Amino acid sequence: MSETFVPSAGHGLTRAPLSIEEIQQRITDAFPAVTATHQHAELTLHAEADVLVELLTFCREDDELCFEMLVDLSGVHWPAGEHVIERQSSTTGWPEYRISREQGVIEVLYVLRSFSRNHHVRISVATDDEAARLPSVTGVYRTANFHEREVYDFFGVEFEGHPDMTRILMPDDWLGHPHRKDYPLGGVEVEYKHDKFIPPPDQRDLREVID
Amino acid sequence: MAIDPNTEARISDDARALFAVGADWESVVDAVDYETLTVNMGPQHPSTHGVLRLVLELDGETVTNLKPIIGYLHTGIEKNAEYRTWVQGTTFFTRMDYLAPLYNETAYCLGVEKLLDIEVPERAQAVRVILMEFNRIASHLVWLATGGMELGSTTMMTFGFRDREHILDLFESQSGLRMNHAYIRPGGLAQDVTDDFKERCESLLELLPRKIAEYEDLLKKNPIWNDRLRGVGHLDAQQCYELGVTGPLLRAAGVPWDLRKAQPYSGYERYEFDVPTESAGDSYARFLVRIEEMRQSMRIIRQALDTLPGGPVMHADKRIAWPSQQALGPDGIGNDPEYIRHIMGESMESLINHFKLVTQGFTVPAGQVYQPVESPRGELGYAITSTGTNKPYRVHVREPSFVNLQAADEMSKGHMVADVVVVVASLDPVMGGVDR
Repeated sequence: MSETFVPSAGHGLTRAPLSIEEIQQRITDAFPAVTATHQHAELTLHAEADVLVELLTFCREDDELCFEMLVDLSGVHWPAGEHVIERQSSTTGWPEYRISREQGVIEVLYVLRSFSRNHHVRISVATDDEAARLPSVTGVYRTANFHEREVYDFFGVEFEGHPDMTRILMPDDWLGHPHRKDYPLGGVEVEYKHDKFIPPPDQRDLREVID
Repeated sequence: MAIDPNTEARISDDARALFAVGADWESVVDAVDYETLTVNMGPQHPSTHGVLRLVLELDGETVTNLKPIIGYLHTGIEKNAEYRTWVQGTTFFTRMDYLAPLYNETAYCLGVEKLLDIEVPERAQAVRVILMEFNRIASHLVWLATGGMELGSTTMMTFGFRDREHILDLFESQSGLRMNHAYIRPGGLAQDVTDDFKERCESLLELLPRKIAEYEDLLKKNPIWNDRLRGVGHLDAQQCYELGVTGPLLRAAGVPWDLRKAQPYSGYERYEFDVPTESAGDSYARFLVRIEEMRQSMRIIRQALDTLPGGPVMHADKRIAWPSQQALGPDGIGNDPEYIRHIMGESMESLINHFKLVTQGFTVPAGQVYQPVESPRGELGYAITSTGTNKPYRVHVREPSFVNLQAADEMSKGHMVADVVVVVASLDPVMGGVDR
């Protein structure tokens, strides 16, 4: 559906987009260690942290790829250990889901967009959640500044080479990184009617609350 | 008057009296140490669009450095959503960018629908487009209103908010709420539009073009508006790319980029409209782009209204679809007696399904998607991660206000303090979106 878009001339926005196979080919030719997954017509490339800056520089500078902008940078925490997520009732027949990992990781996702060619790609880099460190890409895309501060604030990932690695949304003296899955909910006790203290949602047993 | 001996001692220790007579100013300047002044603007400042704090470094009255300090309105919406079902997520995300709630809802729902791999009925898509475009006009009217007020035009403020209220009346009549509608749900809409929906839209389409032309005349010919906006807060296309700036700011820098054209969603490929651009890249160009965008929005609404298809407004799969066939009562929210009779009296299975859908919600297959839409402020993207449960594993929002705010430094450097107000106004940040 995006093939029909031909932006008006005069700003270089005239070239046809590359298909996700072509993008994958172009990048894996230059970086053989990069692996790719496809889902929902989106391409995700999994790279190692040590080639990240080089890879993003290549994506921006390459004449075929032309990824002018880093549009999004976000984190996802996948903690270590066995995590069984199941529905509250066993009578439904809905599927259960299990995550089991030996090592906890924080996955950082970079979405790059090309305006001149109207295509995009997502680059995924994982880092150990115990000592989360990644090279900063602010030298390649200046817009990464706020995004990396946000990921640091929420996940505790230290971006090496960032000009101002401080918290951005949480208060400066906040302890912990709230978007990590091991961060406890309900740090402040809330008193309800009849001297009841309701636990936070992840520790709540509905039968107790009703009693 | 008694002089405190301590004060006297301190003065005599390092007193440097400088007497300026006639043309001695240069020697006075040399004698004083050169230093810049750091000034806090906000978070409680009428021109900073809510609780935005700007730390300005000033050389005289010229800005040498600007640092936005944000987070005063952080409410942890992304974290909260991880503990709520997929449908409940809509009620959270609509509260982020409160001037463009329908964009947040649509982008989130499009992301969830992409993960579910379902197609929304055409009628629901068309209604989404109509309401989103009205929302764009409402948002730009607030921009005109607040921007006008910050530059001293209180008339523009009352005008802008007055006409926005007409649009909010339309939203209220359809969703029951002026803002934070939670009207767009994964799979379609919360309920069908009312019988007088077309009439209401028509009357707005009749009213708004006149009003917008009036405001354009009022401001375009206003010398203060011209002097303060022209040449202020300049950003060219390259700077926009580097700083991640999208939306009207990128279009005012001459790049005809619009996600509605480039990567159409919700059936935008069916409608004919132009992407307005300007080449100047200053605050005045952004004003012109936003005015023209309102006109183009009305063009889209006109076409969508004329071709509004019939049929359901919710996906047919009853495992996903919340009951949306309920009649809208006079209180704005309806309980269809026919539906209640069916689930309570006729079908035990329907009752079970209804109960489970409402209390536990539906599950979404595992996966990751990034879904962008063109919000009034630029690219609004939802990066959703699902692990196949009834709750999102992680939802990250790429908020255009948050990203665009980074450009404030570059736009204000070398300008006067008063121009910082223009720069922030032309960025049009909504702090609910910036801080999330």
